[in-house]
Amino acid sequence: MSSTADAALAPEPVADERLANIGLGARLMRRPEVGSLLGALVICAFFWLTTEPFGTLNGIANWTDVGSTIGIMAVAVALLMIGGEFDLSAGVMTGTTGLLMGLLTTEWGLSMWPAIVVTFAFAATVGFMNGYMVIKTKLPSFIVTLATFFVLQGVNLGVTKAITGTVRVAGLGDVPGYDSAFKLFGATFWAPHNFRLSVIWWIAIAALATWVLARTRAGNWIFAVGGDAEAARNVGVPVARVKIALFMTTAIAAALVGIMIALRLSSVQAGQGVGEEFTYIIAAVVGGCLLTGGYGSAIGASFGALIVGMAFIGIQFSGWNTDWRFLFLGVILLLAVLVNNLVRHRAEGARR
Amino acid sequence: MTALVEVRGVSKYFGNVIALKDISLSVDAGEVTCVLGDNGAGKSSFIKILSGVHQHDDGELLVEGEECRFSSPRDARERGIATVFQDLATVPLMSVWRNFFLGSEPTVGKGPLRRIDVKFAQDTMREEMRKMGIDVRDPDQPVGTLSGGERQAVSIARAVYFGAKVLILDEPTSALGVKQSGVVLRYVVQARERGLGVIFITHNSHHAYPVGDRFVILNRGKLVGDWRRGEIDRDELVKKMSGGAELDQLTHELERKLEPT
Amino acid sequence: MTRLRAGVLALLMVLGMAAFAAACGGDEEGGGGSGGSPASKDDVDLTQGQDATIAVITHGEGDSFWAVAKKGAEDAGKQMGVTVKYSESSNDPQKQAQLIDSAVTEKVDGLAVTAPNPDALRDSLKKATDAGIPIITLNSGADDYQDLGAITHVGQTEEIAGEGAGTKLKEAGAKKLLCVIHEQSNIGLNQRCDGAKQGFGEVENLQVKGVNDIQTTLTEIQSKLQADTSIDAVLTLNPDIAVAARDAVKGAGSSAKLATFDLSGDVVQAIEDGEIEFAVDQQQYLQGYLPVVFLTLSKTNANTVGGGQPVLTGPGFVTKDNAATVAELAQEGTR
Repeated sequence: MSSTADAALAPEPVADERLANIGLGARLMRRPEVGSLLGALVICAFFWLTTEPFGTLNGIANWTDVGSTIGIMAVAVALLMIGGEFDLSAGVMTGTTGLLMGLLTTEWGLSMWPAIVVTFAFAATVGFMNGYMVIKTKLPSFIVTLATFFVLQGVNLGVTKAITGTVRVAGLGDVPGYDSAFKLFGATFWAPHNFRLSVIWWIAIAALATWVLARTRAGNWIFAVGGDAEAARNVGVPVARVKIALFMTTAIAAALVGIMIALRLSSVQAGQGVGEEFTYIIAAVVGGCLLTGGYGSAIGASFGALIVGMAFIGIQFSGWNTDWRFLFLGVILLLAVLVNNLVRHRAEGARR
Repeated sequence: MTALVEVRGVSKYFGNVIALKDISLSVDAGEVTCVLGDNGAGKSSFIKILSGVHQHDDGELLVEGEECRFSSPRDARERGIATVFQDLATVPLMSVWRNFFLGSEPTVGKGPLRRIDVKFAQDTMREEMRKMGIDVRDPDQPVGTLSGGERQAVSIARAVYFGAKVLILDEPTSALGVKQSGVVLRYVVQARERGLGVIFITHNSHHAYPVGDRFVILNRGKLVGDWRRGEIDRDELVKKMSGGAELDQLTHELERKLEPT
Repeated sequence: MTRLRAGVLALLMVLGMAAFAAACGGDEEGGGGSGGSPASKDDVDLTQGQDATIAVITHGEGDSFWAVAKKGAEDAGKQMGVTVKYSESSNDPQKQAQLIDSAVTEKVDGLAVTAPNPDALRDSLKKATDAGIPIITLNSGADDYQDLGAITHVGQTEEIAGEGAGTKLKEAGAKKLLCVIHEQSNIGLNQRCDGAKQGFGEVENLQVKGVNDIQTTLTEIQSKLQADTSIDAVLTLNPDIAVAARDAVKGAGSSAKLATFDLSGDVVQAIEDGEIEFAVDQQQYLQGYLPVVFLTLSKTNANTVGGGQPVLTGPGFVTKDNAATVAELAQEGTR
């Protein structure tokens, strides 16, 4: 390679007059989580100012509690969505894993910690199967995981009823190892305000996911696989492995949440989690994830989950007629998504 | 001099469809070989064999004199054959530097703390793009906001940077306007001057003619002809490509219709 | 995004917030139950003297059964001059625990909760007791209310009611009973079917989709009746499910006798028309009404009700004889 040839041939770099120098402010506006952050701030301010308990430490403990179990799943689901796939079995999986841990301990005599290990292993397997089937059948993940959803929903109810005769697995509080497991997964801290430990888990998981997306090779691959799987494959990214790993992550996150809920309530209901999968997807979309994949943010999904939590408790404190609760929630989420889009279009307007 | 890449008698069948039959040609370093042919001539099957997406059924594929059989695109890439596909193998929503280093991200640290060296990646990308004549000021600019010609530049710069010996360009000008096409042709020449062997696939002989050192025409999976620069002129090339006799007839028909009755 | 569109969006947001605020202010009196009696709009603001807030947190899913209970609670609030905050957890024990936690944060003066899953609510109810908030359980949790720290339980014991229904159907001459369970995770419903088995004999349970998907539920019941023609009695556990079952029985061309738990306007009409034999009424209006009264008295007069026993609101039977009276009241949304 001749450097003189380079110099002779390379034309003078033309400063493209369309590329205005982007200031820091504009660059921040372009980040996918901006919309959800603004939405969260607006809703927080609204409820803080119009209700009394919302801004108290007890109140904050309440809405972060609601946000935390949604948030952990929203982060995992967001990673999967950035990778271009959906998992509709994510909600019911929190029930399956809780029930499994419950049955292992109360019916089959395991103590808590081995049961927890088995539960995580089970979740990893289900996640693997979800991913493997999506890759092998080349069907949309929406369909494949919908099938998993129905299977798990049936298993949850059928197995629980067959074994316990009721629709609930109870008595977890008496299992050896419960206390130590509870301390790690289900306890509260900072009495008397009683913030839940799941909030700390949530923050840690969101931070980890953000670091992976922004700073690791795996993160680059996730964006690529969701943005254009063919292009990624052509440059040697292991597309199948990345997608399967994402499905496994979602399932393992569901196991974590399922275990948390089971320990907190020292019981698990057969219907646990059914319907929550859309809440996770909504939180991820509010947080900036595109349904088509390749773009999004774990922090944004966390803010989305926080919005759901704040709205749930805020509406409680406001004393609004709860017949309208779902309408309110829906409108708030719609507004958050619109703000998201508005902010992103304005930020990208500088380019086009 | 040993050819960089040579195919001898290569054939490819898909079921009982003959995509390629008995193709032989070679590519030398510092030369542009134009592979021309109409749609359906077998050009894309040919590229896919060279780039490792498919495997040839008959014949031999040699890289620097050694016989090869690529099992995957990654395999081909490692042997120094870089392919810039029509869809450019760039992810539109990702930034330029992320695309540039996709699959080969530079890292620092070990074990769980292993992370991408973002500064190195961004600086290197800017430098390589500057060599192509493009100043990428905003490091996080998504590739999708670049023009078609600029995106080609990214793919080419990426291939060159990662040590490609052979650059295969699949219809690089087909989706571009006149000015952009000119810019891309300049990149082709640049790559040649840097010592790469370039295979330029196109159905547009007007683009191929100015930059080619060798011209090869495919038609219905077979090799129609193989000429060096100077052995054939542009009109002849066009005629050979588009099936001269058919074009003459069409022209004749059209002329007759325009005669006043 | 042009300035006009941005302006429209901002306006929408402001309007949205204003609408919420308006809804907030207007609903303190709780005028949203089913039926919506016109009298509630003309009521004078009765929050004199007390200034107390009672939180009523059920596991309901917004169906017609819980609408009546909600009306009971809100009517009691108006008549006692206290604020009643009614919320539902849609059968999610974690949500119910979180709602209880938020009520404790609000420092309400009394807490009325259903306890279909006592273990799940134990911690949150303990926090309430620790904060000095009196608790009364309603509808479910008859076996656990003392353990949970409640003053009393207002409701109907499921097995006894189920047995009553089973016996009545047996007396009507039926031989095989289909018991339709519509809530996947409600212990009480299973207890009713178990009780029915005691009173009737040969009983088969059928799990259906539930009140959120009546069409599917109808199809499920109809298919079962068509598949097993030996079934000559059907017992449902919810008024909306009962109406679906009536249509399913017709659709299957079956002559099975139909009875149900719990009332609605449609169910009462069907009883009058002879399509439903009887309804077991747990009088959920009382389940909403009485706890509010008891808790207010607990605050203002330090009264404790029940003497350590539950306060029973059922079983009451609604048959062709008393259906007409009940029908009028059902129109009001109070039965």
